[in-house]
Order: sequence, then structure tokens, then C-alpha cells
Amino acid sequence: MDDLTSDAGVPVPDAYDPGGPPDEVDAAVLARLARITARIDPVPEGLVERSLFAATLAGLEAEVMELAYVEAPLTGVRGDTLGGTGEATPVEARTITFTHESLTVMISLSGAQGGQVRVDGWAVPAGVLSVELHRPGTDPLVVASDVDGRFSFDAVDRGLASLVVRRADEAVAADGGAGAVSTPVIEI
Amino acid sequence: MGGLARRLSRAVVALDSARPYPVRPAGPGAVHTLGDAMTRPTDALPEPNVDGVETSLGDRAAHALLEYRAGRQHALGELIREATPLLWHTVRAQGVDRQEADDVVQHTWAALVKHANTITEPHAVLKWLLVTARRAAWEAVRKTRDDARRRADLPDDSPDHPASLPAKDPTPDVRVLQDERDRILWGAMARLPKRCEELLRLVSLADRPDYRAISAAIGMPMGSIGSTRGRCLAKLRTILDEQGDFSWTT
Repeated sequence: MDDLTSDAGVPVPDAYDPGGPPDEVDAAVLARLARITARIDPVPEGLVERSLFAATLAGLEAEVMELAYVEAPLTGVRGDTLGGTGEATPVEARTITFTHESLTVMISLSGAQGGQVRVDGWAVPAGVLSVELHRPGTDPLVVASDVDGRFSFDAVDRGLASLVVRRADEAVAADGGAGAVSTPVIEI
Repeated sequence: MGGLARRLSRAVVALDSARPYPVRPAGPGAVHTLGDAMTRPTDALPEPNVDGVETSLGDRAAHALLEYRAGRQHALGELIREATPLLWHTVRAQGVDRQEADDVVQHTWAALVKHANTITEPHAVLKWLLVTARRAAWEAVRKTRDDARRRADLPDDSPDHPASLPAKDPTPDVRVLQDERDRILWGAMARLPKRCEELLRLVSLADRPDYRAISAAIGMPMGSIGSTRGRCLAKLRTILDEQGDFSWTT
């Protein structure tokens, strides 16, 4: 399919040869076009970071859990809409439940010092699990749950995050049915 | 190494053993992020631009895939940084709104990682990315239109209120263009056939050697003229010449 230089409907001025090597005007026009494109429709801030994060999570080959339930208690509603409580803006507290065929994970988010977030979690069925908290641009935090399936991260920065849960039980892992599961990316 | 680390190590080994390629080295210390890899010295292969030979984005994409398969993530992180603008504008050119385009680009990179071991021809990675992004963009547009149709109670064919579908093209805000030549160039782009416009916009964001990959990805095989000025650029130059005698090189 090489009709690209022989389109009779397109007048091509004699001054340059469309089959010839690109000249400096070509280069200048393309360079200007790149600048215009970037100015008119800029790549969103943070898209590269979000893409890196998405690729990292995809590389974990974890099955993604479903977001089953989000509970934001009234007291956790942002303070400026409540008014008159006399308190500083309360940190948003939320409880989020994720489900997968073999596992349910509930996490509770609450304020920690310095604007950070405390994450308390509980996995069912109970058992010792390895829980990784992944965030963009940084190594994951890894904790183990206790035998009842409880785990916590004392203070993590706000932002996008995904929890990855792995069975720590080698026998089950070898069973083939116990790959890692991850939560969808959430804003904490 | 504590008990947790040992358990995690075993879990990671178990996960990796099922793969044809080690996607990452086994062990708890290996759970790094791609972003983190940016600042971390690696034992990666040298960049493929030895001997001063300039590499194209397509070459770097192939390199990144091979590195990733070998368990080294640095090059993929670099590729994501470099090629995300290209994917962004590829998706946006299909008429996807900014929020949705953001998701499509992320999903495209995630899809590359998931398919890292099944892409048979590493040098087709750039094309694979562009094709994947375009298909996902079309799917997003189709879904948006279907949703819009479902929301409409009745088709309204009155001339005053024509049934409207989402605009094919997001209207760019040309007011940001102060320079007269910028406005002339943008106006000339709008007069090009749609695929020419898309091709040139994407080519402008990539290296010249990627002309072929980009044109193939958007369904315009360039035949033998990949290394020369293409028909679209010739058309654009013609339109620009009609606009007046501007110097484009200064």
C-alpha cells in the first residue's frame, strides 16, 4: 500500500519533494506542533505517576477484589458542611469492605498525627496473611496479620493506595488457589 | 530475616514459579515499584544507544519489555515517563474526555505489564501500545454514547434541538495560543483529513524514526516512505503556504 506519494488529488508545490528527506521546515513545523499540542491539551498532572502505579500493581498479578461496601459515618463528613460543632475539621473516617471469592477484607481509615491516615484491617477467613500497602512512587509497606486476620498500618500518607493480601500459609499457596488478591486503587 | 520476611519470600517464589519468565527477582526486597526504580541504581543492561547510534522510541520500548521480562523494571519506568504523553494524545484524539482518557492511559500501561510475556515481537511494543490505547478509547467513546442514548427519553429530531451526541473532538481551547503562527498552524491542522491530523500530532510527539510505527498503528501504513516526508506533512505544508509567507524555522 504505497499510494501515499501519488495522491493525485493533492497538489504538491514544486518547491519541495514529498519523497525527499525531511527538511528544516518539516522539523520546525513538527516541533511547533508538539508545543501547541502540549499547551492546548496538557497531559494531566500526575498521570505518569498513576501510570507507573497501575503498571506496578499489574505486575503483582494479583486478582482484584471487588469494592463491596463503603461506609462514611456522619461524624466523618467534612467539617465545613456540619458547622457549629466548634471542632476543627474532623478527619474523614471510613470503613471499606472488599470481597473476593476466597477472602473478605474490611479496612477502617481514621486520622493519625500529622495529617496521615491510620489503617486498621480485618480479613476473613481468619489466618495469618501478608498485607502490603502500595502507594505511587514508593516501596510498599508490609505487615503480617495476627491469627485472627487483624492488621494495621499506624500512619501512612494520604493519596492513592492499594492493599495486596497474600496468604502466608505456604501449604495453601502451593495449592494453586491462593494467589495474591489486591484491592482496587482507593484514595485514602 | 524475620518470620514474616521468610513467609513473604516463599509466597513470592511460589507466585513466580508459574511464570515462563521471572518478572521480578524473588524475595521480599524485590517488591519495588516502577516509580521507585527511577532513582535506584540498577544492574540493568546498558541502554541500547551504544556507539552513538540514536535509538527511537520504538527501540526503547522493545528494550523496556526485554528488561522487564528479565526482572528489571527501570527501563519500563522510563518508557512510561517518555511515552505517556503520546498515549494521552492518542486517546484524546479519539474524542475521549480528560477524566476517561486518564483511566485509559493507566489501563494501557497495566495491560502491557499483563501481556509482557505474550508479546512475541518486542519491536512491535510501541505499535501494540498505540493500538491498545486506541481500541480502549473507542470502547470508552462507544460506552459514553450508549449511555447518552439510554438517558435520552425520546429522540428529538426537531431542528432547534437536534439530538446531540458527544462531540467527536474535544474542543481545544485555542485561546491559549498567543503566537500567530501557532494559530495558523492549528487552523491548518483542522483542515487536514482526520487521520492525517492525528498522525502528524502523534509524530510530532515522538522521534522521527517512529513515524512508521505510529502510522501503522493508526492504520496508515507508510510503505517505503517512513524515512521521508509523508503525504500528510506535504498537505500541511501546502495549506500553510496558502496562509501566507511565514517563516517557520525561526
